[in-house]
Amino acid sequence: MLYVFKEGWSTFKSIFTGMGVTIRHFFSPSVTEKYPYEKIELPKGARAKLHVNIDDCIGCNLCARACPVNCIDIETVKATDDVDLGKTSTGNPKRFWLTRFDIDMAKCMYCDLCVHPCPTNCIYMVPEYEYSEVDRSNLVYHFSNLKPEMVAEVKEKAEQEAEQKKRERQEMMRKKAEAAKKKKEEQEKKQAEAKKSSNKNDNDKPSTPGKKDS
Amino acid sequence: MTDQISNIAEKREMTINMGPQHPSTHGVLRLELDLDGEVIKNTRPNIGYLHRCFEKYAEEMDDYSKVIPYTDRMDYVSAMNQEHGYVIAVERMLEIEVPERVEYIRVIMAEMQRIASHLLGIGAFGLDLGAFTPFLYCFIEREKILDIFEKTSGARLLYNYYAIGGMIKDVHPDFKKDTNEFVKTFRPKIKELNDLLSGNKIFIKRTANIGVLPEKVALNYGASGPVLRGSGVEWDLRKNDPYSIYDRFDFEIPIGKGEMGTLGDCWDRYIVRVREMEQSLRIIEQALEGMPDEGDVTEGIPKRIRPKEGELYARSETPRGELGYYIISDKSASPFRVKARAPSFVHLGLLPAISKGALIADMVAIVGSIDIVLGEVDR
Repeated sequence: MLYVFKEGWSTFKSIFTGMGVTIRHFFSPSVTEKYPYEKIELPKGARAKLHVNIDDCIGCNLCARACPVNCIDIETVKATDDVDLGKTSTGNPKRFWLTRFDIDMAKCMYCDLCVHPCPTNCIYMVPEYEYSEVDRSNLVYHFSNLKPEMVAEVKEKAEQEAEQKKRERQEMMRKKAEAAKKKKEEQEKKQAEAKKSSNKNDNDKPSTPGKKDS
Repeated sequence: MTDQISNIAEKREMTINMGPQHPSTHGVLRLELDLDGEVIKNTRPNIGYLHRCFEKYAEEMDDYSKVIPYTDRMDYVSAMNQEHGYVIAVERMLEIEVPERVEYIRVIMAEMQRIASHLLGIGAFGLDLGAFTPFLYCFIEREKILDIFEKTSGARLLYNYYAIGGMIKDVHPDFKKDTNEFVKTFRPKIKELNDLLSGNKIFIKRTANIGVLPEKVALNYGASGPVLRGSGVEWDLRKNDPYSIYDRFDFEIPIGKGEMGTLGDCWDRYIVRVREMEQSLRIIEQALEGMPDEGDVTEGIPKRIRPKEGELYARSETPRGELGYYIISDKSASPFRVKARAPSFVHLGLLPAISKGALIADMVAIVGSIDIVLGEVDR
């Protein structure tokens, strides 16, 4: 009998202690955020979406290499000699056309590893989180600002230049080879002459080992 | 058909599946239960629903630091602790010293994460047993910790904040103030939690004397963390095998004493977590006091990470127990093998041993009390 009363009392007590806590919470200010109507501002460094300031990108590919999930896809074309792409805001010279700079945010795991190696700080996370899509392909963000015609033109130009350079190089190599050949021939001639003259001078002596080598 | 029914009725035995979609199993876990009436005769945990090839991925990465975001995803409830374990393992392989300030930041982050993880564990444990209110109150406090983390690292759950040899970036300028404020406001909340849940008679009735794990069994199964301490074994890697700078702090190891029933029951495991939060607060306070104000946290990060040929096992204490990383290096830039010894996996193995003879309704309490995270079990 006493046990029942004791148990009953402790149950009663413990439950009402708990009730007291809930009542205190009931009168304390609410902590709920009514999300679509009220939005809390994310802190400055919040990692929610990748953004690229394409004007500052030099196409060094470091971010793509740092990415563990390969969500950054960069294609660059070397700028021809007649174009000057200018400099980034940090002073690095730009040498590449960025024909493609795609980031697949569906693949991105928000690890921030691509942000740190960037030499011009042009890739960074922005606190923007409302970008859900129905179609997954819409989550691929294209940051390159070149138009398709421009891309084709740039590629063609680069190819032409590359070919020209290749030809020039070949020409140069050929010339060099020719020059070398000429030189060699001349040298051989000289040596032959020298040999002849030495042979004339002392016929019975055997040729020196140094001459043998040449 | 009628034969079968009568057969079942006679034998009163059947096998049922609990999960994988059961809301009380803390993730996608399937338990095959052999029942005799309402009494559990045998439990077979089926895992693998969340397998993401962490270990294989780690081998594929061409840099040791690229593995860190994947360790986050192992135990997503205590990501900071997972990173800490991996980072100290690689640092020991490289034989590099970490600046003082970095160590202090690491310890504070790890202990805050421990509190956040225990809050979730306790809250979900209460929720399993029908106590909805403490769950929400725990989440209010957890939110405060996540806000501090978000301000500092930029992410709320998967931080990728630890780097090999340092931290990814320095803490937020308000960090010290925020953390101090949190410590001050959190102390009374533990008392509140005790009033609400720990002392509640209904809660005690559902947890005391249930899922008893004797000391010997716990040791034999290789249990660690609050599960082992709940059985009365004073074992904490922060004290017994100090890593980082844990040997500088003054704290106690709370152990289960069988206050409400048998030693090593669900209530003991639960109360160890609550008391551990208090100890974590003590560590945070001491670390905040000792933390140097100046110092670059990123300067120690090596450009090239190429450990010497060899292997290493480094362990650390996460909220769930002993987390070990076994790394083999072949001198190249990517690890040859990374094996993670996850405490949740070991504790899941305990389940058949401690659930034998329990009622099916108590199974939920037992699973909740060992506080497993399936991301870590399946990896």
